[in-house]
Amino acid sequence: MHQMTIIVEQLSKTYKVPEREAGFGAAVRSFFKRKYKDVKAVQNVDFKIAQGEIVGFLGPNGAGKTTTLKMLSGLLHPTGGKATVLGFTPWELKSDYLRSMTLVMGQRNRLSWDIPAADSFLLNQAIYRIPDDEYKKSYKELDELLELEPLMKKPVRNLSLGERMKCEIAVGLLHRPKVLFLDEPTIGLDITGQARIREFLREYNKRTGATILLTSHYMADVTALCERIIIIHQGQLKYDGGITDLSRKIAPFKLIGVMLTDADSHDLSGYGTEVRNEEDAEKRYIQVKAEDVTTVTSQLLAGLPIHDISITDPSIEDVIEQAFNQ
Amino acid sequence: MLKIFQRLWQVNWAEQWQYRANLLMYLLYWLVSPIIYLAVWTSIAYSKGDVNGFTANDFVTYYMTLLIVDQITSNIVIHSFGYKIQDGTLSGELIRPIHPMLTNALVNNISFKGLTILGLTPIWIILFFLFKPDYGHVTMVGVLMAIPAMLLGFFIGYLLSAAVTSLAFWTTRVYSIHEFYFALILLFSGQFVPLSLMPQIIQNIAQYLPFQLLLYYPIQLILGKLSNAQIVQGYVMGGIWLVVALFLFNWVWRNGVKRFSAVGA
Repeated sequence: MHQMTIIVEQLSKTYKVPEREAGFGAAVRSFFKRKYKDVKAVQNVDFKIAQGEIVGFLGPNGAGKTTTLKMLSGLLHPTGGKATVLGFTPWELKSDYLRSMTLVMGQRNRLSWDIPAADSFLLNQAIYRIPDDEYKKSYKELDELLELEPLMKKPVRNLSLGERMKCEIAVGLLHRPKVLFLDEPTIGLDITGQARIREFLREYNKRTGATILLTSHYMADVTALCERIIIIHQGQLKYDGGITDLSRKIAPFKLIGVMLTDADSHDLSGYGTEVRNEEDAEKRYIQVKAEDVTTVTSQLLAGLPIHDISITDPSIEDVIEQAFNQ
Repeated sequence: MLKIFQRLWQVNWAEQWQYRANLLMYLLYWLVSPIIYLAVWTSIAYSKGDVNGFTANDFVTYYMTLLIVDQITSNIVIHSFGYKIQDGTLSGELIRPIHPMLTNALVNNISFKGLTILGLTPIWIILFFLFKPDYGHVTMVGVLMAIPAMLLGFFIGYLLSAAVTSLAFWTTRVYSIHEFYFALILLFSGQFVPLSLMPQIIQNIAQYLPFQLLLYYPIQLILGKLSNAQIVQGYVMGGIWLVVALFLFNWVWRNGVKRFSAVGA
C-alpha cells in the first residue's frame, strides 16, 4: 500500500453569486437589495491519491475541476469538508507546503509580463530557495525537454501562447515539487509541443515519484499519461477508477462499421442504433451492446451486401460524454 | 531571505524602467498640488508679512521639504495591488512561499520610489533656485533624527494602505474607499497646510492619528521646529501605530484571503 499523498473528504465549495435581471429597473433594485444565488461548484467529493500516481481529472466546463484544484493548492477555502495534501491542509498556505507543490494554471501565473522569462526564473530560484547547483541541473533538464533557451531573453509579453505555456510549466517545476496540480497543461501547444510536455511529465513522475493531478481537454494527454481517471460533473464525483475499465463500466458498447453497396438505400435500424462517425464517413456505424456483437455481425453479413466491416471500441470522448449524461 | 529581496528588486526595478514615461507623468501630476499650495501660501505670506506667525520662507521650506518627505513616506499599494485581488491575478502570488504584500508589493513600492526620486531630484533643484528657501535652521542632527522617523512613517502608511487595499477581498473594488482614506491623509497629515495652521480641534485629533507621522512630524523634525518632548512623543506614537497597523493589516489580510475567490484564470 502506497502512502496517500492526497486525501479529499466530503470537499465542497459553494459560491455566492450576486444575481439580477437585465435592465435599468433591476439594476436600481439590486443596488438596495442584492440577491444572491448559491452555486454549488463542488459537492461532497471524496477521493484519495497515492504517492506517484498520475490521475486525470475530467469533466465538462463548469464541472468543478478547477475549483477543486484551487482548493487543493490552497487558493480557495472550501465551504465544507476536508483535504490533506502531503499532510498539510492546503488553504493554511504554510510555506513548507507551498514549497513542495506546484499549480500550473492558465497562461499568466508566475511569469512577469514585462521582463524576460530568465529574470522570473531567477526570482523563483530565490523564492523557493533552490541552491545554485540544483537550479542549474533543474534548468538543464527542463531546457532539454522544452527547448527554453531561445525564449529566455524575450519579454514574456512577446512570447506566443505555446511558448509562454512552456515557460510557465518550466518555472513551476524548478523547485521539483512533490505534488503537481496541472490545469490544462498542454493548452495552446501544437501536437509536438503537447507530446513533449506529456513525455516530460511522464519522465518527471518516473524520476521523482511525484504525484500528478491534471485536467485536460485533450484526451490524448489523459490516455497517454493516466492509468486512473476521476470524472466530475455538476460538482459531483461520477467515476473514479482505471481508464480501461471506464468503457466497460459506463458504456459497454462496440461500434460496428460497415461499407455497403448503395450505402444509403439500406435500413440499419433493425440491427442497432446508428451513430455518426466524422472520421470515417465512408462507412455507416451502428452501436451495439458488447455481448451482442457476434450475433449482430453475423446478421449483418448475412442480410446486407457488405464490402468491408470493422468492430471498434467507442472513443474515450464518447464514453466520457455518455458518463456525463447518465 | 536577503536573496529573495535582491531578486525581487531586480525584477521590480526592471519593470519600473519599462514604464518610466508613465512614471514621469505620474510624478508631474503628483507635484502639481504641493507646488500650488507653496505658491499660494507664499504669496499670501509675502503680502501680509506672515500668516499666523508663518513667514513666506516658512511656507517655502515646509513645502519644499514636504516634496521629499512625501516621496519617501507615501506608497502606491492601492494601484499596484488592488487590481490583483479584483481580477484574480493574485492567485499566482498567493501560492508562492512568500507573503505577497510584505515582499513583492513592498519591493515594488520601493523601486517605484527609487525611480520617482530620480525624477524628482532635478525638479527639486529647479524649484530651489526659483523659490530660494532659507534652510538656515536645519541641523544635521535634525535630518539624521528624521531618517528613522520617515522610515517609520513609510511602514505605518504602507501597512495601513495595505489593510485598506485588502478590503478588496470583500468589496472587489476598493478605489472609492481609498479616496476617502486619502481625504483623511490630506486633512490630518499636514499635506494641505502645516497642521499648526489648522483649527485647534483638528490639531488635537491629528496628534493621535497616524497620518501626521507620514508628513508633518518628519518635516518639523527636519526643520528643527520640535521640542525634545515633542520629538519623543512622535517616536512613541510612531512605535504604537506601527504595532497597531501591523495587527490591523494582518487581521484584514488573514480574513480576506479566506474570502478570495481566485476568479479568472
